[in-house]
Amino acid sequence: MGQFEDKINLLQFIPDENNQHIVIINEAECQKCTSKPCLTICPSVVFTWNNCDHHPVLVSYKQCIECGACRLICPLENIEFSFPNGGFGVIYHNG
Amino acid sequence: MLRHWYKASSRPSLPNISCQRPTDIPPVKKYDAIVVGAGPAGSSAAYFMAKQGMDVLLIERGPYPGVKNCGGSSIIAEHTHKLFPNFWEEFEYERIVTDQAYWWMTEDSILTARFQSMKLGAAPYNRLTVRRPKFYKWLADKAVVAGATLLLGHNVTQILFDGEQAVGVRVSQPNDGFFAADVIILADGANSLLAERAGFAQRVSPLDMALYVKETIALPPATIEERFNLLPGYGAVIGLIGYPTAGFNGTGSIHIYKDAININVGMAVNDFAKSGIKPYELLERIKKHPIIKPLLANGETIEYGGAMIPEGGYNAIPPLVHPGAMLIGDAASLVNGVHGYNLAMWSGYYAAQAAYAAKRARDFSIKRLSLYQTLLNDSFIMQDLKANAGAAALQRNIPYLFDLYSKMANEAAYHSTKVYTMPKRARRIFIYKKITSMQPPLRILADALRAIKVMI
Repeated sequence: MGQFEDKINLLQFIPDENNQHIVIINEAECQKCTSKPCLTICPSVVFTWNNCDHHPVLVSYKQCIECGACRLICPLENIEFSFPNGGFGVIYHNG
Repeated sequence: MLRHWYKASSRPSLPNISCQRPTDIPPVKKYDAIVVGAGPAGSSAAYFMAKQGMDVLLIERGPYPGVKNCGGSSIIAEHTHKLFPNFWEEFEYERIVTDQAYWWMTEDSILTARFQSMKLGAAPYNRLTVRRPKFYKWLADKAVVAGATLLLGHNVTQILFDGEQAVGVRVSQPNDGFFAADVIILADGANSLLAERAGFAQRVSPLDMALYVKETIALPPATIEERFNLLPGYGAVIGLIGYPTAGFNGTGSIHIYKDAININVGMAVNDFAKSGIKPYELLERIKKHPIIKPLLANGETIEYGGAMIPEGGYNAIPPLVHPGAMLIGDAASLVNGVHGYNLAMWSGYYAAQAAYAAKRARDFSIKRLSLYQTLLNDSFIMQDLKANAGAAALQRNIPYLFDLYSKMANEAAYHSTKVYTMPKRARRIFIYKKITSMQPPLRILADALRAIKVMI
């Protein structure tokens, strides 16, 4: 995990406190999901397993790099991904 | 920090298929065209429309163009020069590519094919490595100088329709507003939520979309030149095949910037899910490779990132022309192998021609805008995409294509290189047996035929 934290700490984000742009549509569905690809595919580890019945998946949307892979890979189509509001989110400087 | 910011909130979840223009909020002004996304495709479209006197609104969700996409890249000079003559005098590229190579890798070996030539180093050049923000900003500036209005920090969430006809766009909070135009050009990139919401395109299959991660590693220019055997100002692009994608089909690449080395690696979204490999683990594997490690020694990682690239090819292209709307660039899945920028810029150029013709005829129907499709079809873009149409399926049908054959090539190279104490003839038989023990000869032949069929 250390390696990853080093990487994500290099990135600049303008977090939006008022709008969570990635939402789990129905959290109960996640309990049924056997593969949970969102936990591994996300390049910035937005999704982490919470071991909690009510909120099984934590969504750390403020560290999202906006690739959108989670939406495509969720086997239950249970992730609603939209881009952050104008001016918010990740900022790349080096291409 | 909000206490429960991570908790999912309940919001209306499914995308709206269509959105009628609200009658109570009249748009302030009607533009000739709205372009969504100030990337290479969008800014090119805006530039060529504005140049022809059209009133163009170019909307970008980032605070600046180019800050929302990443991945080492090079622009193809010949194509860019045709659209933007002598472009290299106008913006700060990284290096002139005089060295193009492919590395077939295993965990401890690299077999390379490398071409270096100073012929590639003379104007109008062949490839130039670029940092995306500089390149995107330059292109968006050109559109602005030509007369387009650039609106930064505005996220377009919906296309507005009057019946079937696209007539405007809606932007989200905090700007929250509507803009109207005769033509809407979608250049919102690989993950075109707009096209999907508007019903222009289906949800992209995770088989047709690749996820790439990148790391930019800073090193002094002189060190880079020494390690990669380059003259000052000149650079290399290296394709990495085999080992980088850990057994799956996919590719890595090294792009040499002025003062940094950029490593990309990626594969189909579906393969990431299937394998359970975390994208950044692939980067770490490459950086630890015994032959790559010394090239990066003492380098400082300055940026990490990830992005999706449409890799479905010709068969994944959605319908591109709609009443009052066109799809260009990555949003239109116009990516062919390692070529993306030039397809994006040309598609922007062609869409601009169609928009201009539509404006002159005051007719924004599919029929009139189909000029875009016609120009694309007649160009190298569709011809090359069609020619490569089988590539995506080939990679899917031969899941071991890159990995196994890289290993076999390296194995053959190893035994040919190593000096054995056996007669030559015996050694040839030994190598043949080694190779065919990895894959039976008939399978090699069958795969080769399939690959050749795709290539010609």
